[in-house]
Amino acid sequence: MNDKLYKALLFIAAMVMPVVCGGVVYALATDAYAAFEHFGFLKFLTSSEWSYTEGAEQYGALPFITGTLMTTALALLFCIPFSLPVALFVGEYFKGTRIAAILSTVTDLLAGIPSIIYGLWGFYTLRPLIMALNISPQGSGVLTASLVLAIMIVPYAASLSAEFIKMVPNELKEGAYSLGATHAEVIRKVVFPVAGSGIFSSYILAIGRALGETMTVTMLIGNTNNIPESITSTGNSMASIIANQFGEADDLRLSSLIAIGLVLFLITALINMIGKIMIKRARIA
Amino acid sequence: MTCALAAMLASCGGGASKENGREPQELSGAGATFPLPFYNVVFEKFGQVNSDFVAYGGIGSGGGVRNLRDKIVDFAASDAFLSDKEMAEIKNPVIHVPTCMGAVVLAYNLEGVEKLNLSGDVIADIFAGEIKMWNDARLAALNPDVTLPAEAIIPVFRSDGSGTTFVFTDYLTKVSPMWKEKFGAGKSVNFPSGQAAKGNPGVAGIIAQTKNSIGYVGSEYAFAQKIPYARIANQRGELVEPTAASISAAASGEIPTDTRCSITNSDAEGAYPISTFTWIVIYKEQCYSDRSKEQAQATLDLLHYILSDEAQGITSEVHYAPLPAKAKELSKQNLKQVTYEGVAVLQ
Amino acid sequence: MNKTNTQHRLAKDRLMLWGVCLFATLTAVPLFAILGEVLLRGYDQLSWSFFTEPTPTAYKVMKAIEAGQSIPGGIANGIVGTVLMLSMASLVAIPAGILCGAFLAENSKNRFAQIVSYLTDLLQGTPSVIIGIVTYIWVVVPMRGYSAIAGSVALFVMMLPLIIRSTEETLKILPASLKEAGLALGGNRARVMLKVQLPAAFGGIFTGVLLAISRVIGETAPLMFTALGCSFIRWSIDKPISAVPLLIWEFFNDPNLQELIWGASLFLLLFVLTLNLLSKYLAKKWNQ
Repeated sequence: MNDKLYKALLFIAAMVMPVVCGGVVYALATDAYAAFEHFGFLKFLTSSEWSYTEGAEQYGALPFITGTLMTTALALLFCIPFSLPVALFVGEYFKGTRIAAILSTVTDLLAGIPSIIYGLWGFYTLRPLIMALNISPQGSGVLTASLVLAIMIVPYAASLSAEFIKMVPNELKEGAYSLGATHAEVIRKVVFPVAGSGIFSSYILAIGRALGETMTVTMLIGNTNNIPESITSTGNSMASIIANQFGEADDLRLSSLIAIGLVLFLITALINMIGKIMIKRARIA
Repeated sequence: MTCALAAMLASCGGGASKENGREPQELSGAGATFPLPFYNVVFEKFGQVNSDFVAYGGIGSGGGVRNLRDKIVDFAASDAFLSDKEMAEIKNPVIHVPTCMGAVVLAYNLEGVEKLNLSGDVIADIFAGEIKMWNDARLAALNPDVTLPAEAIIPVFRSDGSGTTFVFTDYLTKVSPMWKEKFGAGKSVNFPSGQAAKGNPGVAGIIAQTKNSIGYVGSEYAFAQKIPYARIANQRGELVEPTAASISAAASGEIPTDTRCSITNSDAEGAYPISTFTWIVIYKEQCYSDRSKEQAQATLDLLHYILSDEAQGITSEVHYAPLPAKAKELSKQNLKQVTYEGVAVLQ
Repeated sequence: MNKTNTQHRLAKDRLMLWGVCLFATLTAVPLFAILGEVLLRGYDQLSWSFFTEPTPTAYKVMKAIEAGQSIPGGIANGIVGTVLMLSMASLVAIPAGILCGAFLAENSKNRFAQIVSYLTDLLQGTPSVIIGIVTYIWVVVPMRGYSAIAGSVALFVMMLPLIIRSTEETLKILPASLKEAGLALGGNRARVMLKVQLPAAFGGIFTGVLLAISRVIGETAPLMFTALGCSFIRWSIDKPISAVPLLIWEFFNDPNLQELIWGASLFLLLFVLTLNLLSKYLAKKWNQ
């Protein structure tokens, strides 16, 4: 094979990426257009009515945007107290030891479990617990979905944070130790400030994962089309309303679901882009 | 054109033809989960007659009708007949063939409560979120012999578009002006509170798993899961259980020629008020996509088999009710209008 | 005064250590809880017929339940679908991903390569449910029907960025001297890539492929809108087809089929975790 042919082949393979991504955006945008045109872009995003009564169809994405934001925010909140200790355990306290390797294997495996199995576990184990504790009568809801979502994003936040914690130069830490600081103080005064932006960006990427998680949320959130009144209420996320209704919707409803898909795509793309840029900066610094 | 070609190919490919003069076909249909167990048996038995094969996907009535409109199935199954608007949207004329009758039951999960009586307006208020507690005075009045708990009611409903939802809300619309005004009837309705699940079995599953819940499901799903269900007061004020007899009683009235009719809230004696026909819907002109004439014939053979006494006899075994004679008669007449490239398929 | 202060600080230090250990250990709990539950409830559902028979019809299940028998059938239709769609997806995604990864590794400074690299990240972060919608629009609508092909396209789109990334990263960490030596010996770039670089990077690329497969094999949402599901075994690529995760979703929605749910989950979970551990082990071995 000569060099020219080789280069052309690689180039063609690389062209797959722009073609696929362009195709994604094009497909979503053209099919979402009808909904945006019919309701108006802003109105679609801010209307909380999702009603399929024949002749008076009204589709608004607000309940699902709210549902997504609530589950994601709660999942993040529940994830921090676990992912941060894991990151410190692996990246600082027991850096390079066998036990750290075991723990990071465990978190890697957590990341590997399919989301439908997380959903099953949430439904058959966590949901009865929520009902037994009288937290919510029906067991399903935003809270239940968020708890399982939190477990799912711990590995993403933890492994990346650990990487940044590992990279904190030893000289800095030793300087603090020689001044008599305890390990806890070194972590607070040296490790966190130095690795902070990296840790922060790893949480941004974890948010990116939580936003689009579908099956777990569909199985646990209760699937009602209203804005959740509280964290124990049932609702729907952007991903779960698509999972629930895409198979049977047509016309305006189909277009509205695709429009929700487009919005979700844009939000996750934005979040991921911010995360990646921050990580690049943190790595250079 | 493609159809003609396909038909030619099919006829050329002949060989050992069976008694009714056609090759075994693979038919595909999709739709309602409500009559699924009935269809499972009937399709299997039909397959034994001529080695035809019927693939059926229980994806909900809403999905079935969409698939028919997209012309990717031979038939759709739905517990809700197509509305005039849907008929207009689907463009080509369709024929409704009722296949059996069934009941939508109000299944509940209440510790220690084995008998529960309900009336239409109370059901409407429960699902509208107006009656919130099990020990509500109106529920207590209907159930003088039962101690109902002081717990919140959890309504369970469908997350997917469903003929069962249509039948249920169609009933509520007839018995409750409040329901008619606020929610109306449809395959999907915005229930204000509670929890949703996918398909009839999904709803049954959630009810079985959730204390103090109540939901509407096709009767056989409550039977199979051994979930108790309520007796419901009909228009005459009789408290009726869903049985083959009480469902049949609901269909004793007039049936229009195209069989599209709702039999909820029947005023007949002993009628179970949330009864329904369930339909298979096909195109009147069977030449579409790349279907062969033999496929069209097989589709009609299937429908005739379902209308036969043999198939209707199976209904009670799976907790459905057989069709009244009039519905069968009308359907056989309607099937004569089915054409392939404009020529009647049945001579 | 000073002494109590020091004690206080040391106590805080210890508290922090114990807190970190406690919460880090707690994180491992869900893995074992999930594994344990699926194992305990699923192991006695596994049998030979579980892997050779398709899912039973609703009618057969109801009759079995009424008669108090265990329900018949298995998940063979799902296994067939998963194998079929995954093979088709891999067949395209692996070569395309490796070539694209090679392009990125060779031209990292090039502007076009940077765009491709950014798009790879974008696609990798895209929620799988959106891949499902898009594949529906691309394939299901024009083909007028759900099919195994549509399912494989969805899986292909999800595998692609994973394979590109692992190939690129593995090629980049190869010593530059390897490539230079190859070129010095008179090989052209294609030969050096094919005969020197790719073989040297084989371990890393192979692990990447294993991880990509383990990542997409449990995907459910995109297959719901593309492969749809099918209750019997079939190998046709232009018809609806089932998959193991799709079956789990069906079982989840049907209480009558609950007896099958844990066996199917156990099978899927063990498969995914084994692939994960295997790739980790191989990565370690090849790195040495």
